[in-house]
Amino acid sequence: MKPGEDVTSASDRILLRAAGLTKRYGGVVAIDHVDLTLRSGEVCGIIGPNGAGKSTLVGLLGGALSPTAGRIHFDGSEVTSLPASERARRGIGRTYQIPRPFLDMTVEENLLVAQYSLSPLVGTRAAYAQCRSVLERTGLADAAKMPARALPLLRRKRLEVARALALRPKLLLLDEVGAGLIDAEVTELIGLIHSLVKEIPTIVIIEHVIRLVRECCQRLVVLDFGRQLAQGLTSQVLESDEVAAVYLGTGHGSLKAGPSERASSARARLAQGGQRAGSLAGMVGAGEPKASGAAMPLLRLEAISAAYGQAKALNGIDLVVEAGQAIAILGSNGAGKTTLAKVISGAIKPSSGCMLLNGEDVTGRSAHVLAARGIAHCMEGRRIFQPLTVEENLLIAARGVSAIEQRRRLEEMYLLFPALAERKAASGTAISGGQQQMLAIARALMAKPRLVIFDEISLGLSPIVVDRIYQALGELRAAGLTMLIVEQDMDRVLDLVDYVHVLEHGSFALSGSPPEVKANPRLRHLYIGAAD
Amino acid sequence: MAAQIASTRSLSVGAGSAGIVATALLLLGLGAMIFAPRVVGEYGTEIGFRALIYLTLAEAWNLLAGYGGLVSLGSSSFVGIGAYILMGMLNAGGFGIVTALTASGLGAAALAIMVSPAVFRLRGLYFTVGTLALGEALRLFMINVSYFGGATGIFLKSNPPPTEVLYVYAVALAGIATLVMEIYTGTRFSILLRSVRDDEDAASQVGVRAFRVKLLAFAVASLLMGAAGGLQALKLGAIEPYGMFGLQWSIDTLSIVIIGGLGVRFGPIVGTIFVIALAEALADYPELHLAMTGVILILVIRFAPKGLCGLGQDVCRLLIGRWDRPGMPRAGGALP
Amino acid sequence: MPSVELIASSLASGFLLGGILALTALGLSLVLGVMRLVNLAHGEFLIAGAYAGLFLVKYTGIDPLLGLLVIGGVIGLLALPMHQFLLMPLAGKGPEAPMMTTFGVSIILQNAFVLAFSADTRAIERDYANVALTLGPVTVAQIYVIGFAISASVVGAVHILIAYTAFGRDLRASAADADAAATIGVNVRRVHALTFALGAGCAALGGTLIGIAFAFTPVSGATYLLTDFAIVVLGGLGNILGTLIGGITLGVLQSIGGVVLGDGYRDLVGLALFLVVLAFRPQGLLAASRS
Repeated sequence: MKPGEDVTSASDRILLRAAGLTKRYGGVVAIDHVDLTLRSGEVCGIIGPNGAGKSTLVGLLGGALSPTAGRIHFDGSEVTSLPASERARRGIGRTYQIPRPFLDMTVEENLLVAQYSLSPLVGTRAAYAQCRSVLERTGLADAAKMPARALPLLRRKRLEVARALALRPKLLLLDEVGAGLIDAEVTELIGLIHSLVKEIPTIVIIEHVIRLVRECCQRLVVLDFGRQLAQGLTSQVLESDEVAAVYLGTGHGSLKAGPSERASSARARLAQGGQRAGSLAGMVGAGEPKASGAAMPLLRLEAISAAYGQAKALNGIDLVVEAGQAIAILGSNGAGKTTLAKVISGAIKPSSGCMLLNGEDVTGRSAHVLAARGIAHCMEGRRIFQPLTVEENLLIAARGVSAIEQRRRLEEMYLLFPALAERKAASGTAISGGQQQMLAIARALMAKPRLVIFDEISLGLSPIVVDRIYQALGELRAAGLTMLIVEQDMDRVLDLVDYVHVLEHGSFALSGSPPEVKANPRLRHLYIGAAD
Repeated sequence: MAAQIASTRSLSVGAGSAGIVATALLLLGLGAMIFAPRVVGEYGTEIGFRALIYLTLAEAWNLLAGYGGLVSLGSSSFVGIGAYILMGMLNAGGFGIVTALTASGLGAAALAIMVSPAVFRLRGLYFTVGTLALGEALRLFMINVSYFGGATGIFLKSNPPPTEVLYVYAVALAGIATLVMEIYTGTRFSILLRSVRDDEDAASQVGVRAFRVKLLAFAVASLLMGAAGGLQALKLGAIEPYGMFGLQWSIDTLSIVIIGGLGVRFGPIVGTIFVIALAEALADYPELHLAMTGVILILVIRFAPKGLCGLGQDVCRLLIGRWDRPGMPRAGGALP
Repeated sequence: MPSVELIASSLASGFLLGGILALTALGLSLVLGVMRLVNLAHGEFLIAGAYAGLFLVKYTGIDPLLGLLVIGGVIGLLALPMHQFLLMPLAGKGPEAPMMTTFGVSIILQNAFVLAFSADTRAIERDYANVALTLGPVTVAQIYVIGFAISASVVGAVHILIAYTAFGRDLRASAADADAAATIGVNVRRVHALTFALGAGCAALGGTLIGIAFAFTPVSGATYLLTDFAIVVLGGLGNILGTLIGGITLGVLQSIGGVVLGDGYRDLVGLALFLVVLAFRPQGLLAASRS
């Protein structure tokens, strides 16, 4: 089976059938009645925006998660209640989004685990020979005796694939294996996948990197909000407007509106927001007017680098933020956006470079020190304090001020987000995703910060809610709040900000004003891997 | 959790041929020790016996906690069970010492298997606290149930064999422990065990039945501990709950292995020698000895997570320059 | 068949004693809930409090109950350097390292107590302690009632601290999500240090009460450690009022065990209960079921 071949030439034998798969976490539905049929001999891709449920689906198929409802049949028998180890023995292999090799074992030993668990009595020579052949196929032969801990990110990904291969699986689930790779590396990976197709009957590729699915998969399934949105031949699915809209975040709710219409409605919203700006001015800390060149920048990053152990996440970032500016940080998954946000707020210490806040060197200071200096970070995933009530979540952020001042700020927040006022005594667990996001934003504002970082605030929220949130952001923008917006949802952000940086592999690949960046063909390439 | 322990430990030296050499050396050493009593006299034999019992316990605990990632504070449960089983069998009459010791080991293994479904459900810290509670519960149970002698305990009806004979049994037991360690750390089981220690979920995903792997390690370690307990009971001639189920066993075993080097093949023996030497040096000041053990434990955890063996390896590395052995973890952080 | 008076008195004593035990467990629950730290030296903090009470009355004549706050404060302050120098440097080395370190501290303290104060069994003799109070069929020692009152007050005070003050907010936030708390501006390290000190202080308070009610030795701490674990697990990690309920439950069950099976089985009942709960619901019986 070669990719690109008509899907009907795949055998008719059904290898996996999942029916009505549902996974619920308390009130949140991660996967909602998804049906999936996989035939022997096909390469199927699963795509969808962040938070769509792709990784949950992989967990359900691989056995790491057990479904709240639904059934899974694999190779003729039902496997719904089988744990991961049994499914692996029957031939389901998976890789992890963030590689999880056995760090304190050598590369070879990592593969031997699979060998020995499948065939405990296999001869040592045969086992090692088998390992060697898999390592050669995945380009790791020279690293056989190295500890897994010493491998850089791309090689760890290869090890993930090799380890799954050592299982001789019938179904291979590749979970975001292309994340964080540059173009040349993606080409290598595509070559590897093509070579695997011959020996593994069925491969499922869960991906953000569209180029990978375009060149490897015959069939695509699109997930959104835990449900199946679309399904069909790769080329057809990728050309569908609906899918493009969902994936690129081009205004979830306003599909019918063209770009210019959306822009003007956004501007209208901003204008509306401007009228409220006066009352909001009190919320903006150290109310400095828009920078007039001569003034010192509020924030300056010089040659900032950061790493997680082996993996370099940021590489020589230079960034200037003037007071009153709104700056967007865009980039695909794994580009380093959240790392940058965490370095600025102090959750991560940079490995080199320096950071200046209003001229003061704050490099490497702790998070709570930077918070006291006026940097607020509305973290990815909201990070509400679940056991605390809404009001307590807000109060905890207003530090070092009198009780009267705290009350005053609380009232301002309730004005900005009336929904929170209604739920002020509810605990963090009892409010919806949209309300949690509002709470996270309000909490960040309670400290009267000089600079707020909004990290992926549209994640997992419905279009209407995102509209409301961006409306609030617009109002804050007009009131003069300095903000850094880290986002995947491009369109809304570009209407809001003064300047844009696009991150790729830890450095800024593209910078400019919104119109410049929008018009640049590299933007789409950076996001979906091929210019349209 | 296990992955975090692993990152502060060094790998088994015993992989492959290096391990066989190590085991051969250890066995030779033990063989030589059989002749030691003639040289060191009675007191030396006493110390030797104690050291060998500790060595057996330490090897077993190293397998469990070092290689398996299961940090247990309940060693006393198995030592005590083994002791009481041996006493019971010898008092009942008609059983030889070897049979009784085997029964001690098997009984302890049975206990391990019995509690494993409950205890393995606990991850990390809860597991450790759970094993601690198990040991204490058994001790209290034995104190109260008069059938087993209650607080006064039971004593051996016949005379125990002389120290020299017991010493030979101890050598044999330590030898068995060494062999068992070699099997479990040098063979393919070690690979499965370490994978469960490093990342139980990823191991499952690659087909490893984690529960069975952990259970096997737990049962084997308990077997060794039970046999050691039985031998100790034989030496004492009279046992009671405070002594045999006391926390002392868990403390000593843990201290020896951590000080010697957790997860290191030579850790138990280095630790045993160190702890016994310390005990002898401070023999007149038992409280000071124990307090010092505590201090050293804290220092080792803080400054030498790989124990004395690790320190030794670092020193060697400095002196020799390059210590090229596959599988040594570098000092680097893990990915998020 | 024991008499009604005996049963009633046993239950009442168990109830009251359970309340006192709750105070001893409070510190453990706090530290475990906020810092995810299993403090194996907790029992020794208890005994330290008992010794402190003993010497307070011996050398100054001040009744330990009057000097409770001082005792708690002193032990709490002494715990701060332990946290600063022994535990904080271990951050990021995994959860076992701090726990093993507290284990080491436990060994050191036990033996230090023996060296400093001898291994003799001690008790803080107070005349009012053993006066019998009778109400109907129930007879209990006065110290149980006093101890329960003090314990309940302290538990209540700590509850108010945690639930209604700014520090309590910081503490709960640090327990829920330490990184997010730091980003908001909470000095998580300081919160941990103060929590550890508070835990030690509460343990010392409980220990003083225990020292008045019962006898103690340098190594008594271990048994209380495990009983306290049982209470923490029963009441739910970090649940302050739950600790009181858990303690009372344990106390009553221990009494029942003592009456039905015999006095030596009291502690065993507690431990057995602990193991059962641990096996089936480690987050605690009263813990809110979070998804």
